[in-house]
Amino acid sequence: MSSFETKNFGTVSYETGSVLEFPRGLPGFEDRRRFLALQFADSKPLVFLQSLEDSGLCFITLPILAADPEYRLEISPEDREVVGLPLAATLQIGADVLCLTVLSLEETGPTANLLAPVVVNISNLKAVQAIAPDSHYSHQQALLPQETVAC
Amino acid sequence: MLVMSRREGDTILIGDEIEIVISHIGRSKVKVGIRAPRTVPVIAREVKLVRDQNLAAATGPLSSPGLTSLLSRLKPASGAAPGESRKAPVSPVLQRNGKPARQYKIGEKSG
Repeated sequence: MSSFETKNFGTVSYETGSVLEFPRGLPGFEDRRRFLALQFADSKPLVFLQSLEDSGLCFITLPILAADPEYRLEISPEDREVVGLPLAATLQIGADVLCLTVLSLEETGPTANLLAPVVVNISNLKAVQAIAPDSHYSHQQALLPQETVAC
Repeated sequence: MLVMSRREGDTILIGDEIEIVISHIGRSKVKVGIRAPRTVPVIAREVKLVRDQNLAAATGPLSSPGLTSLLSRLKPASGAAPGESRKAPVSPVLQRNGKPARQYKIGEKSG
């Protein structure tokens, strides 16, 4: 077991075998390569992507099917290569890959980046934020009907 | 916006230093070659959208009334199960080699 001091969650102990590796970082954070995926009882099904290189860097994410049960994953050959996924295979969310959408907490309510999901290869825990090719998905998909949002 | 018709192999110049070559025209895609000085960043628009969105997401708070409201919609019977500490981490997600992940342990929050 290793441990890491985080800004938001105190000290987190983890097994090195559970670290997600982003070989190319994420757009805007290209040098952040190692993350933990944390879930808490009181905020399930949210998954917090906590950087192991920057104690203050944490993304709020949601399993993409919770945000959009109809979501169709498209991943480019380049991104498949980054995480070691076969080029031709159809990928099943939950079986082959974990697929998370990064949330932004806007004043008008939370939005999900469905244009660029975080895709984790379950067999090796390599991950990439995969910009969907030819996608009609929004990078700022509102998750709440606007009238229900309390600001 | 200036709109030009070009054939495969044609080149467009922007200023003296930027060259855009229409290198291949397919059924629904065009391959474009871009020659520009190193000081001029060239990225696809969606990469910039995602980068800006990530920067905004990373600098925002980790909770908001809207997020709470979203969570209550996602799990109508919200809250921790009986006997489960509210802050107790649930082991997520994964472990290499297909072994189930062990629970994360989180220490006292410092400060």
